Amino acid sequence: MNQMLLRAGLLSLAACFRVIAAAPLPAEHLTVTAMPPVNAHRIYIVDEAFNNEIDARVHVFDGDTFRRLGQLDAGYYPTYNLSPDGKTSAIGTSYFARGGHGARTDVVEFADNQTLALTHEIILPPKRAHTLPTPFGLAYSADGRFVYVAYVTPAASFGVLDPAKATVLGEIDTAGCVLVIPSGPNRVSSICESGKLLTVTLDEKGNEASRAFSDAFFDPDADPVFVQGIPMSGGYAFVSFLGDVHEVDFTGAQPLLRKPWPLVTGADKGRWRPGGTQPGAISSPMHRLYVSMHQGGEGSHKNAGTEIWVFDTVSHQRIARWPMRAHKLSDVLALQVSQDEAPLLFAATNQADLAVFDALTGQLRHIEPKMGQTPWFMHNP
Amino acid sequence: MHSIDRLFEKSSRALAQRTSRRSLLAAFGQLLTGAVLIPLLPMDRSARAATPGAKSARDDPQSCDYWKYCAIDGFLCACCGGSSTSCPPGTAPSPITWIGTCHNPGDKRDYIVSYNDCCGKVSCGTCECNRNEREKPMYRPSRNNDLNWCMANADANYHCSVSVLLGVAEQ
Repeated sequence: MNQMLLRAGLLSLAACFRVIAAAPLPAEHLTVTAMPPVNAHRIYIVDEAFNNEIDARVHVFDGDTFRRLGQLDAGYYPTYNLSPDGKTSAIGTSYFARGGHGARTDVVEFADNQTLALTHEIILPPKRAHTLPTPFGLAYSADGRFVYVAYVTPAASFGVLDPAKATVLGEIDTAGCVLVIPSGPNRVSSICESGKLLTVTLDEKGNEASRAFSDAFFDPDADPVFVQGIPMSGGYAFVSFLGDVHEVDFTGAQPLLRKPWPLVTGADKGRWRPGGTQPGAISSPMHRLYVSMHQGGEGSHKNAGTEIWVFDTVSHQRIARWPMRAHKLSDVLALQVSQDEAPLLFAATNQADLAVFDALTGQLRHIEPKMGQTPWFMHNP
Repeated sequence: MHSIDRLFEKSSRALAQRTSRRSLLAAFGQLLTGAVLIPLLPMDRSARAATPGAKSARDDPQSCDYWKYCAIDGFLCACCGGSSTSCPPGTAPSPITWIGTCHNPGDKRDYIVSYNDCCGKVSCGTCECNRNEREKPMYRPSRNNDLNWCMANADANYHCSVSVLLGVAEQ
């Protein structure tokens, strides 16, 4: 017994000496973390913050290190986009003078993506379209010279901005056609109620030089297309509620409407549909289309997908089905894919989790829980 | 208790995302019909569901399954201090609206419904309801529920949505 007490005493004494002998912690210095260099796997996630909509954000996330890199504030009903070189974020938003109420200010704020600090802003007339995220609420011209902002009051028009001089150049009436789809250095297309595209060509000063309507490229009554068009080489693909893919080539003076092709065939027809807030994404280098699919009917077009279907954009054949239940993931509302040759597929769920997949194999790399409140749209360089 | 609430909220939201309301009602109807076939339950429980005055979710203005809400995507004013036809105190109705066509299972008629937003306060955040029957994207604005219909109000902040019957839809 005495020996045990002696041993315990010696141990306590040794522990005391160790504490006394250890060097103190060094003084710390407060710093601001620098952003890592932009890479193809960085993603910008628009969080609408639907339960408290004046407080939307854009979360910045690295798909390689699975790190949350930072945040951009996005105000109320933001319309977000990246500059063509990926170096700048443009955030179209609205603020109320006293938080939830008061005088409304519409503005486009620009942020440096290497620091996430605001650089400058352009005040807009209070007409900015307040709608859910699309790539066409705010968009850059291909050469970065102009920024276009969709207006709805509910009369439809769009603003033409000069981001370098931080000025509004003018406003162009689009008479029943909405959103701003950039096509070339000086053309803007809008989707019309009739299913046609209105294309406005601008002069050097950003004024209207001419306008023309396309033929209807979809039937808005029988099978509307989602306004979340998917960028593809030379244009955009618009997926319809029933699952047809309408590709529009914007490389010419007027849009070229390609023959639609189906996502849903055979026994799946009439049972499976695309849906969500960002239903699809295309990897142009790898010729892959990813679509969030669910089983549903009339009115289910905003339902999140239980599976991701993968298509070859050349052969139009489905090449994989990836059920989310296999990974214990809830259903997918938004999809985005990186544009490199080792692509990552990002999937935001209706539980606000962000899943990162190998886009070629479907292998799950990571689940980032609670990526904000309502992550409904994702952009990448 | 809070965690139990969250668990039910999560499972309800997940179910709502996976299942259309119509299929849910159909499944519920099948369940009721099936119940009368169970020998140990001689009572016809389906009859109870048809009793006038019995309140089901499709008649409850605080439920997203209320038949008039077939094209609401937002927060129900009936849960936010208002009702299915009145804005909560201190808010202002939007003068511009989107329109839906909803089937009333009570009288088997289709009705034109005006959905107005109530404006001037931060989103209510309670009773989120996301139904989109015959809803169209924003290039068909009169049928679109993604636009902020408070856009033309002096205070353009969206708080919640109401549903007001305009009349019977003609075939």
